[in-house]
Amino acid sequence: MSEEELIEQLKTQIIEALSLEDITPADIDPDAPLFVEGLGLDSIDAIELMLLLERNYNIHIDDPKKRREVLTSVRTMAQLIQSQGKE
Amino acid sequence: MQAYINSTGIISPQQTYDGTFFAAPIVNTDSMILNAMEPVYKEIINPVLLRRMSHVIKMGLGASNLCLKAAEGIRPDAVVVGTGLACLYDLEKFLLSIDDYHEKMLSPIPFINSSHNTVSSQIAIMNKLTGYNITYCHRAISFESALMDSLMLIAENKADNVLAGGIDEFLHNYYTIFNLLSYWRKETISNLSLFEGSHPGSIPGEGAAFFLLGKEKNEKTLAKLTDVQTFVTKCDVSYLKNEIDNLLQRNGLERKDVDLFLLGRNGDNQHDGIYLDLEKILPETSCVAYFKHLCGEYMTASSFATWVAANILKTENIPDCLIKKAPAQSQIKRILIYNHYLEKEHGLILLEAK
Repeated sequence: MSEEELIEQLKTQIIEALSLEDITPADIDPDAPLFVEGLGLDSIDAIELMLLLERNYNIHIDDPKKRREVLTSVRTMAQLIQSQGKE
Repeated sequence: MQAYINSTGIISPQQTYDGTFFAAPIVNTDSMILNAMEPVYKEIINPVLLRRMSHVIKMGLGASNLCLKAAEGIRPDAVVVGTGLACLYDLEKFLLSIDDYHEKMLSPIPFINSSHNTVSSQIAIMNKLTGYNITYCHRAISFESALMDSLMLIAENKADNVLAGGIDEFLHNYYTIFNLLSYWRKETISNLSLFEGSHPGSIPGEGAAFFLLGKEKNEKTLAKLTDVQTFVTKCDVSYLKNEIDNLLQRNGLERKDVDLFLLGRNGDNQHDGIYLDLEKILPETSCVAYFKHLCGEYMTASSFATWVAANILKTENIPDCLIKKAPAQSQIKRILIYNHYLEKEHGLILLEAK
């Protein structure tokens, strides 16, 4: 799966996991910040996104600093999944 | 003890969320479930918070927000909620996820929503209400318990205004379990023909109704909440008669002083007998009306009845869709609501014109 295909898959999974009812995949900029700006997510959403990575891609991150880096944007999430060969 | 109903907000199977009193056509459906007719929640609840709310929380916050909006700036000193089954759907979801994911990787949202007092807490958080906050989960007398607590808060000068409400949602698992006990009607009927013939089973419903109860009345006051009584026992009509007479006597009244008896008959011939027996001993001059063909059966259905009664007293009009026995006199000044659940939990609510 290419990075762009993985990004599209992640967008759909994020919308479902966070119940973003009025948002379509096309509305999500893969390079925009997920938190505060962009989608305007918060700390509870961060937990849901970590669960998404664990449940769907078997990726567990213990280091809080690393978590923040991974959850910067949809693209950084996709790049982590690809770097671990979990796509 | 008494309080004035100074505003209401309700989401029910009828079009009531717009603040009108049965102005829209009455819902007549053979769907065998009376689901709530809901407003566009984004217009009354912050959309950012809305996406994490389950159905029962949306109904509760929606109805409470409508009530506070109608109160035009009066802020309650206390929030008191009654709910029979509370957030059981989210609790089931949370417990199932514990099993599905072997006690790991649990989503926080069903957990946040799973507590029985989530609605009253969310009302407080959203409206920055830092006072007394409580939820009564007393099965079918939950709403009456909430009203009693509210009346006591006002009587003891611990609050001038209390936001009190009743909420319950339709739950598939609850429906399935009670269907095994023939609690729901087997054959397809419309809700408006619920009282035709004699058959086992009723129709399930759901809803949320909130009331701003105040120590003082104002120009928006709908009615006066005079007294509330509950009892939990399997009883016959003579026991019920004594309970009604006790409630009326302590308010200086007799049965003949009640203009309208609003009864929670639900069309289930296994449990309707006590309502029919009661009707036989009511004064000739009293009007009798039913309400569960409009809202369905649920544990806090008496909150819908309270909204109906308050609006009858305000408008001085009983909609035809409610009347079982027409009033002998045109003015309705006093209404007694009687409701029971499986003949075990009984509630009496007395309301009067302001």
